Amino acid sequence: MSIELLIALITGAALFGTGIYGALSQTNLVMIMMGVELILAGAMINLVAFWRYLHPDNPAGQMFVLIIMTVMAIEMAVGFGVAIARFRARGSVEMEEATELKG
Amino acid sequence: MMTAQMLFIAFFGLAAVWFGIVVFRTFSMVRSALALLFSQTALGAMFLSMQVEFLGVLQIMMMATEMSIMAIFMVMFMMDPGGLGEMDMTHQKRLSLGAGLVAFIAAVAVAVFVDWGPVTGTPPDAAQQTVDLGLELLGRSMLIFETAGITILTAMIAATAVAIQPVKRNGKP
Repeated sequence: MSIELLIALITGAALFGTGIYGALSQTNLVMIMMGVELILAGAMINLVAFWRYLHPDNPAGQMFVLIIMTVMAIEMAVGFGVAIARFRARGSVEMEEATELKG
Repeated sequence: MMTAQMLFIAFFGLAAVWFGIVVFRTFSMVRSALALLFSQTALGAMFLSMQVEFLGVLQIMMMATEMSIMAIFMVMFMMDPGGLGEMDMTHQKRLSLGAGLVAFIAAVAVAVFVDWGPVTGTPPDAAQQTVDLGLELLGRSMLIFETAGITILTAMIAATAVAIQPVKRNGKP
């Protein structure tokens, strides 16, 4: 296996792990979104590396990266929409205070 | 040539991971947003080092805008955006650290132990990559591309609808 591919995959794994830590440990909605962004970035680097080193002749591989970028943009738009609504209703985006839906 | 390329990929990969960790280590929310911006930019530079020019430039341009917006929202929403009070905003730290480590080790194990097959040497040049991607977007993958566009539009309308201040019938909020 190529060393470059391995470096890219390990970078993706590290970003994924960091993102999981951030998404689970943070109490602020915007910080949780940052964790999710890092998880998606980890997935993106994997897709780019697979396209570049395994199938550079097939442009469909780059298409998947564009889809991940779309998901990142959608996550930001919806997340900030929810954050604004929450801030307006409760004056804070701290998720520990959002217990209304608890059974 | 290959060694220089490998060094650049490793350097930008390390930078991306380091700034990703800094996001959750600083008390300042603005610094967090900037660290995420640097992490994503390092990722874009890594794409460029891998000779994936179009996606590298797209990543840097898109993330620069996205993270700037994020920094503005941080300042708007946080009680202490500069982090001067050093307020702790974390919970279930041990569980999160464990989950992150398990995810990292599992992903590295898959990366190392799976046989990924033969590696191809050189990708098409930058102009050819862009041509190929353009033909792919407007050809075989057009439905996926259009669906992504419509989904973004729907998300924007939904986000605006959720965020908009409700107005009562007499015109007062």
